[in-house]
Order: sequence, then structure tokens, then C-alpha cells
Amino acid sequence: MIIVLPTKTSGEKSFISENFGRANYFYVYDTEKKLGEVYVNENLDNPHGVGIKTAEFVLKHKADVLITPRIGGKSQEILIDKVKMYQATDKIVKENIESFLNGELKELF
Amino acid sequence: MKKILILSGKGGTGKTTVASNFINISKARVFSDCDVEAPNLHLVSMLSNVQNRENYYGLDKSVINQDKCIQCGICQSYCRFNAISFVNGTYLIDPHMCEGCGVCNYVCPEKAIDFVKSVDGETMLYKEDKVFSTATLKMGSGNSGLLVTKVKKQMQDYIKDDDLVIIDGPPGIGCPVIASMSGVDLILLVAEPSVSGISDLQRIIKTAASFHLKTAVCINKFDLNKKLSHDIISYLKANDIDYAGEIGYHQEIIDSINKGETLPINTQAYKDIKKIYDFTVNLLA
Amino acid sequence: MKIAVLSGKGGTGKTFVSVNLAYVLNEATYVDCDVEEPNGNLYFKGDYQEKIVEVDVPEINHDTCIRCGKCVDFCKFNALALILDKVRVFSQLCHSCGGCKLVCPVGAINEKKKPIGVVKSGMYENHQIISGEMYIKEETGVKIIDELLDAVSLDKNDVVIDCPPGNGCSVMASIKDADYCVLVAEPTIFGLHNLKMVYELSRVFNKKIGLVINKASDNQMINDFANEENIEILQEIPFDKDMGYLNSVGEIVSKNKKYRKYFEVIAEKIFGDRL
Repeated sequence: MIIVLPTKTSGEKSFISENFGRANYFYVYDTEKKLGEVYVNENLDNPHGVGIKTAEFVLKHKADVLITPRIGGKSQEILIDKVKMYQATDKIVKENIESFLNGELKELF
Repeated sequence: MKKILILSGKGGTGKTTVASNFINISKARVFSDCDVEAPNLHLVSMLSNVQNRENYYGLDKSVINQDKCIQCGICQSYCRFNAISFVNGTYLIDPHMCEGCGVCNYVCPEKAIDFVKSVDGETMLYKEDKVFSTATLKMGSGNSGLLVTKVKKQMQDYIKDDDLVIIDGPPGIGCPVIASMSGVDLILLVAEPSVSGISDLQRIIKTAASFHLKTAVCINKFDLNKKLSHDIISYLKANDIDYAGEIGYHQEIIDSINKGETLPINTQAYKDIKKIYDFTVNLLA
Repeated sequence: MKIAVLSGKGGTGKTFVSVNLAYVLNEATYVDCDVEEPNGNLYFKGDYQEKIVEVDVPEINHDTCIRCGKCVDFCKFNALALILDKVRVFSQLCHSCGGCKLVCPVGAINEKKKPIGVVKSGMYENHQIISGEMYIKEETGVKIIDELLDAVSLDKNDVVIDCPPGNGCSVMASIKDADYCVLVAEPTIFGLHNLKMVYELSRVFNKKIGLVINKASDNQMINDFANEENIEILQEIPFDKDMGYLNSVGEIVSKNKKYRKYFEVIAEKIFGDRL
């Protein structure tokens, strides 16, 4: 399955971003290939509507799971019923993914 | 590290008064003013050394390249914002009215309209022994989720683990307010007992609730209308929202604001705010 | 004469001054352009007729749509998104520019009307009261403000325009047709700072300017600024707890002889030669 996380810096050792739409990077992890890819958030400098573009990004990458500290109303609307969303912890990306796979993360909705 | 966001819905309830006194009481090292349409906190922060200053770019605006323009007027006929006028034989785009939609660029048969970066304001980071993050907006520009996020991000690197960060939030309930809520540990709403204050308070409580963020409400100018103040308290109780306390309508608050100072320790107003502060910090633990 | 009342910051007394100024002016019309948080009609209690304000937003014909994404790429406001093979419209972000409809290669986009708020009008004694209110989830109320001002553009009576706070596009839309700007400021360090902002705005729009100092005290900082810039001080309204109480419960304080004179003086100074 594919897991997406918004991150502060790049890579699996990065901390999770406190923003969803305005995260600096996104980490897209494939659990089967055990491989993660880093994407720069290209929508960061849009004054408005960033959450929507980010939700588009999540769907474009065929994510099954989104691990995030929070998510705004519009993105929520888009992703609900399409992607399972979980509450991120304040640990790094790698540890969040592990916690998720161990069933330790809480669902957001 | 804990972050408190101070909001009010309606303007003028005393958000900045509460924020500046919180900063004084907590001796917060890091604080921020996200109310960029009317930034005020710098006036009481008493910092002057600007460490970082950066242009804030909003949406690009359209500008007509007069060398290529053939004065056909097609751009003006398509512009829905009355931004294009014909003056002394020249078509001109008013940057105050231009919304940056890109329609005129698209319809121009000569491709004579360019996009230019528009500086809508500036972010500023003050640093001395304390760190203060804020921004100013150019006239006609509005606050945005992007700008609030930038103001919060630019202080990020200076926050230490044991810091209590105070954020003076934007008024209203739109995008800038939503952006201000990310990554905070508690929202303190400053309400006032007036008919307009109450309806705005309700609107913002709804918004905060949708983010599952700890919320507490305090009432400023309490004795302006005691009945309405008690109505607010009943409303909070009925909806299970923490009531943080009240600040009376004291002359000394106005005096201290006049001077751009925080409240002297021996005043009733200081004691009122200290009580609210203690309650809030307790909630954070 | 159209008189715009602005203050830069919320809570300074813009509505307080506009409501009372309109009340003391004979048959004056009061227009509330603070469409995000309209408060004027809390003072002018009565029956209002509502008219819905609409803007154009895109409507996608999903059968004709070929999912090329040109509309999504064009939209600068991110109001369109291609979600799982369907183009979705986020109308709250739409600025109604009409661009998406233009760029669609197959004509799959039409425009439909979307209500964004209401214009309410009624009478209070012999004053016409017009206010606008934006629905909660909407982002921009400029269209409502334009309609409010259209409604009074041919008004033969004097019009008092209660402006939104700040100095953004909705404030600009509110003052553009005004003949005179009344700036309301409090004598505090914040008040002075905000006054400078709206002063700059009023000057750029070349408006006649007058100043009302609300919650006046011994502090002379506003007066000093006014003197430096040659701004006429129309009135200084002192901090008065009783008056504050009345105002907080939505009472028009100028119904009381004691307070009425404050606003009569403001009117006299604005109309000067006309009176």
C-alpha cells in the first residue's frame, strides 16, 4: 500500500510537518517495495486553495493512507472515503510509518 | 514547547491586550503577530532589530506591454474586475483592482500582457534576546493562509524545547484564521459582551472545534454588560467549553495601551489577566 | 453626499459613529458594507426585505469533459481540481473571472449562479437602512458591496457608508464612490498606527478627510498626528461607561439629547458650507 506524509525536511528521518497543505515536502512510501520518495511541495507559494492541490497530489499518487497531524475542511471533503487518514505523532517519518504498521496510530475520522 | 493561539472572531475585543500581557507574564521568548491586516503587537514588543526581512509575493498581476499593444480593447471587455481602463489613448491595468486571474493575458490577440510578480507585503523577524515574527501588507492586499503560514514558519528555527510561544491571531474566521491554527496546542478566545461579540464568538468556536483543538474562552470588558457576560458563560457551560476567566472594563488597561506598555503588577487588570493566564497554562499541562 | 466611515481596525467605533451620524442626519441612508460581520442592523431593529446576491461559478458538463486539465491549470485561485478523473469545483475559492470557461477546448464549462449572501433593506424611522451579509463559508464579499453601493448610487439623500475593517479590497470597494471619508481612531498607540493605514488609503483615493477621536482621553497622540498632517478633527467623543453600555445593547445613543450633540457637531463640520 501507499502511505503519504507531509514533512518538514526531506527523507524518512524528517519530522512531520505541522501543516498539511503547506508542508515543505511530501514523503510517499510504498510498503511492498519498502521504498520512499520525496516530493517538494510545489503548491507552497499559492496564497489560497493549497489544501485542494495537496489532496489532488495525494490521490494522484494512489495513496491508501495519509498520516498527518491535521487536515483542513476542503481537503478533508476530497479525501474522505477515498483515503484512510491517521493522526501523526511528533516522531520522525520512519517511526510514524512503523507505528502505523503496528496498528498504533489513531484514525482521524 | 507549547504554542498558545489567541483569537477573537470580531476585532477590537482585546486580543492584542491579552496577548501582550501574556507575553509579559510568561516572559515568552518567542511570539508572533499573525494579524497582518492590522499588526499591532510590535508596538508593545519593544524590539527594534530586524533579523530577517522578506518580500511576500501574492498572486502575480497582469501588466500590458505597451510596445506590443494594438489598443484593440479586447482585454477590457473581458475583465470582470474593472481593472482595465483606457486613458489618453493607452490601455492600463490598475494593480489595486487586478485580481491576477489571467483572463486578459489569455484573450489578448497579440500576447501583449505579461504576468509580473507582485509584492503584496513583507515578513519581518525581529531578534534580540527575544524573537518576534510578523508581517505588513501593502494597501489593497489581503491577508492569506500563505502569509500567516510564513509568519509562523519563520520563527520555527528559533523555538527551543522549553519555550511557551504566544501567537496573536488574525480576526475573522476565514483562511488566515484556519492557517493560524496549525501546530498550536491551545486556542484562547477573547470574547466581549456585546451583541455583535457573541455571534462572532459562536462562529469561531465552531471553527476551532472542527480541528479538535483545546479551546478556552475569556471575557474582556466583562462589566460593559454583565448580563451578556453571564449569557456567554452559560453558553460555554452548555457546550462544554472551558471558561478561563474575565477582565473588567478598567481605565488602567486603556492607560497602559495608550502608553504602549503592559499592565503594572499591582493593578486589578493585571490580576485578572494573570488568573486567566494561570488557568490557560494549567490546561496546557 | 456619500460619507464613508472607516477605521482600519475592528472595534474602534466605526459602526458606533456611522449609525449615530446617519441617525442625526435628516433622512440619511445607512449602508453597512462590513459584510463579514454586519452589525448595523442590530441598532436599526425592524423588518427587512432580503435579496440574494449571486456570483457566477463554473459548472462542468462531465459527459463533454475530456479531462485535459486545462481549466485546472489555468485557475490561479485553485478553485478547480481533477480528483480521480472528475473535475471538481471549489466555488468558495472561485473569483468568477470566467477564465476556465474560456480555456476549455470542448466547451464543457458553463456558468451558473451561486448565492453568496444577501442584501437587506428596510426603513427605520425616516432612514433607509441597507446592509449586506455574506454567507459563512464564502471568502470574498466584494460583489455584495458593489450591489450595496449600486443600490444607493442614485440616492438623493445623504448616505453614510459603514466600511469593513482593514485596508484590503473590500474597504477599497466601499470607499471608491464616497465624497468624504470619516476616519475613526482611538487615542492609543494601536489607534494611531491603524489611523495611519486608513489615512494613506483615503489619500490615495483622493478623498476629503475628517477625523473622529473615539474614547478620547488626555492622550494627544492622535491630535498631534492630525495637526501634523492637517486633518480636520471633527469631534472627540470621550470614554463614557454609560454610553458604552447603551451601545453594547444595540441602542442608538444619539436618541439621547446628551449624546446627540456629538454627532450633530460632526455633521455640521462635514457639511460646513451646505448647512
